[in-house]
Amino acid sequence: MGKIFDFDFMIQCIPQILKGIPYTLLIAVVAFLIGIVIGFIGAMCKIYNVPVLKQITGVYVSFIRGTPLIVQIMLVYYAVPIFIRIINQKFGTAFDISWIPAVVFMLVAFSMSAGAYLTESIRASILAIDKVQLEAAYSVGMTTFQAMRRIILPQAIKIGLPVFANFFIGLLKDTSLAFTAAVPEIMGQAKIVAGRASRFFEAYIVAALIYWVICIIFERIVAVIEKRANRDEKEGKK
Amino acid sequence: MIELKGIHKSFRSTEVLKGVDLSVEEGQTVALIGSSGSGKSTLLRCINLLEKPDKGTVRIGDFYFDAHDINGRIKREARKRTAMVFQGFGLFENKTVLENVTEALKVVQKKSVEEADDIGKQYLEKVGLSNKKNNYPRTLSGGQKQRVAIARALALDPKIILFDEPTSALDPELVQEVLRVIKQVSEAKVTMLIVTHEMDFAHDVADRIAFMADGEILESAPPNEFFTNPKSDRAKQFLDRYLQRFNYTI
Ligand SMILES: Nc1ncnc2c1ncn2[C@@H]1O[C@H](COP(=O)(O)OP(=O)(O)O)[C@@H](O)[C@H]1O
Ligand SMILES: [Mg+2]
Repeated sequence: MGKIFDFDFMIQCIPQILKGIPYTLLIAVVAFLIGIVIGFIGAMCKIYNVPVLKQITGVYVSFIRGTPLIVQIMLVYYAVPIFIRIINQKFGTAFDISWIPAVVFMLVAFSMSAGAYLTESIRASILAIDKVQLEAAYSVGMTTFQAMRRIILPQAIKIGLPVFANFFIGLLKDTSLAFTAAVPEIMGQAKIVAGRASRFFEAYIVAALIYWVICIIFERIVAVIEKRANRDEKEGKK
Repeated sequence: MIELKGIHKSFRSTEVLKGVDLSVEEGQTVALIGSSGSGKSTLLRCINLLEKPDKGTVRIGDFYFDAHDINGRIKREARKRTAMVFQGFGLFENKTVLENVTEALKVVQKKSVEEADDIGKQYLEKVGLSNKKNNYPRTLSGGQKQRVAIARALALDPKIILFDEPTSALDPELVQEVLRVIKQVSEAKVTMLIVTHEMDFAHDVADRIAFMADGEILESAPPNEFFTNPKSDRAKQFLDRYLQRFNYTI
């Protein structure tokens, strides 16, 4: 007769579930960074009305926003092998799909997803900066690149900071879906320990607490960054 | 000397500039006046290529371009030779007052930090804002912001400064401090083209008034001549309306 709640088991499974943290962080951070790059390019295509690219961006954003993440993960999971077979057929190469670790599939899927959401947030943050500042930057002779890097983006990042931070926290939690592709992140590890002992509730409680703590730590970090970003402007520079 | 010839500009199907000729002699101040929507801002923006003219030629000192040849390089060359003061200030909100003035000196003109700072401080002194040099724009009044924008324009040492309604966004009590600074700049023989609705100021400061209506310059004359004896009916109507408004506010 087993216990209703096995506290000792719960404590025991902490170390193994903790091992999932690097995977969780890897997927979240890499997907976020790639997402920022995709999002910035998408935002510029939309803002500058680049023909064709603007339409492609529109369809991409709409598709990602209109489909569940888990479905996107499955699509990538099955699309990549097909894609590689096509390449092999076309070019007579012999790439082996099993060479590619599952986590790479997840990085592709999460980056694509993040890119779409961040396209919209980055676009909104850039458009929140009064257009006359960009014109002023041009009028003094700056290039678009200089104006973006020195004037517009620093302000857009500050405005978008809370949105980006929220998105990152969401992403961090969404990475738990990577267990579906057998990636040993926090949720994946919890599932493995839990399955071995047939004690699921205990393992998932540990997983939940770990996610929670990571998010709290991250929120603290963001709060410090925001405070620092605002400090200068209140006091003026010495 | 600045010389515009046959400038045309349409937005979609509406022709906003219908072949404008205008010149500003070196050291001169020309006031561009006319009712709202007549194309004054568009004309100014065709000089520093914030708008791309469809047709026409522009000469800025020794630099010359045709509307057909405009590319990224010509845009930057035109902008290096001009400066603009916007109705909405256009100060860089993430930069201090001094940095606003020095940013382009460092980034565009590639001056050293020390040289840029020296120039910046010198022009902030001219507009009476030395004590605000480390402030951020959001802590300034509208009048102070516009004076910083004027210092930024002057520091570039451009062939011409383009003013687009520099006092229209200001609270009435702040208008004079900005007009005083502009007058001082004009007296220092800086070449200026200024769009304004301040008729007394235009009369006082400009060497010439250019009157614009429906995308054309209908008259260009010295202030005394223009204000006492406008030739076109459009200019007469325009001035009458201004005088009426003036009377009402008394
Ligand atoms: N970017 C634009 N797109 C479409 N129409 C414009 C644009 N800018 C100006 N216009 C139109 O051009 C006309 C002239 O505008 P503008 O040059 O701003 O006049 P003003 O400065 O004399 O008030 C107006 O009818 C305005 O609506
Ligand atoms: Mg205007």
